[in-house]
Amino acid sequence: MQGFETLFEQVEFILLAGLVLILAYLALEHEDIVYAAFFFGMMASVVAGFYLLLEAPFIAGMQIAVYTGGISALIIFGVLLLPRAQDSTLEVFPTSRAKRIGVLITSVVMILSGILALLFPWPESFVSENINLSQNLEELAKWLWGSHGIYVQMTALIILTALVGAVVIMKMEKAERLEPIKGEFGIEAETHPAYTETQEEEQ
Amino acid sequence: MIPLSWYLVLAFILIGLGVYGMMVKRNLIRVLIGAEIIGNGVTIALVALALYNSPFTFTGQGLTIIIIAIAAAHTALAMVLMLMYHRRYGTVDLGQPVRQEEITGV
Amino acid sequence: MRLFIDFIPVLIWAMLAAVLVIVMLFASWVLRPHVLQNSEKTSTYECGEEPIGPARVSFPYNYLTYTILFLVVDVLGAFLWLLSSSSLRFTEITVWQFILFTGIFMVGIWYVIKRLPETYLSGSETVELYQKARASSKSSSAHEEA
Repeated sequence: MQGFETLFEQVEFILLAGLVLILAYLALEHEDIVYAAFFFGMMASVVAGFYLLLEAPFIAGMQIAVYTGGISALIIFGVLLLPRAQDSTLEVFPTSRAKRIGVLITSVVMILSGILALLFPWPESFVSENINLSQNLEELAKWLWGSHGIYVQMTALIILTALVGAVVIMKMEKAERLEPIKGEFGIEAETHPAYTETQEEEQ
Repeated sequence: MIPLSWYLVLAFILIGLGVYGMMVKRNLIRVLIGAEIIGNGVTIALVALALYNSPFTFTGQGLTIIIIAIAAAHTALAMVLMLMYHRRYGTVDLGQPVRQEEITGV
Repeated sequence: MRLFIDFIPVLIWAMLAAVLVIVMLFASWVLRPHVLQNSEKTSTYECGEEPIGPARVSFPYNYLTYTILFLVVDVLGAFLWLLSSSSLRFTEITVWQFILFTGIFMVGIWYVIKRLPETYLSGSETVELYQKARASSKSSSAHEEA
């Protein structure tokens, strides 16, 4: 039974990892941005499977509720609001020099994070070897709400700041739209030739 | 149990993919998707490291909850800024921002 | 008992859903007539109308505000879900923290709903401004002529 469980867990990990990597690659490389946004949503919901493997049921639920339900919906909505984002000529970089610089920075970041992932002796630096497999949410709630409540309030303040900033930027956007209508050099401030002609005819 | 290095390698590949998307792509929405993929890789690594280091299991999970909440906030703000960029330059192209007046000639 | 053992039914259902979709697409591919696909056949169907322009059009910007409000309420719900699904014994400090947390979110949502009319340009407002600008330009031109 124990051997079957380990085998099943490893097979599930490899399946989920392959799915996540394929979906992440498609989200970055698919030429149609609408499909890319949908692939990102699917990737975010498959990542929740890893949290189930890692004994974190609440984080799996929160991943599906916030990432799949909220963030990917916001990205799909942004694609609908910005029709120029669907321009497929945006997928080709203009100069090969800029692309080479991007690949260089990517390889530097990947080397640094590869040292952290593969060469750094993580298991030796741990305090204890045994693994805590408790899944009760009470400990997590006690950590978050009981002993570290200041983090929760700081998160609330950050989200309040983001909301206020979003609304202020939308107000600036409206003021910029009003400018051609009622501004000093706006379209309507000038005398309309066709309109004045009809007025003269009436008189 | 799965060895810890499997999760770390997965997180490493996800972070690499996300940085590649952020650095090489011109479309602003794809840059945002790259940033979210980096966030997913980081949370997988954090939860895995916290699980295998038992005194910090709930520290890692609680910090992951806060990371997800702040990811929601920054995505909302980035989307509104992207709207403003689109309004001002008439495109979502990072490569060459052009004023809208130069396109339309107004 | 590991957690992922409990979720084997979810895995089976996911595989069933994927297989069902593939089988249905394949069955419709087998059953449908394979006629020549021309631009008339693949265009958007509108009864008695010639379709104009692409199907993906631009939506008004102000809908984004509602999506952001949904996202914020989603995060609020996730934090309160943790509190409600655990059997944590509430102390006085936890209750005050809950009240402060919900209060900060409510202030943000109240601010957004109060400022909502200032964030988008409604049609009636545009018409009003247009008429006002027109009247002022007419009166100024009449003044110059006199």
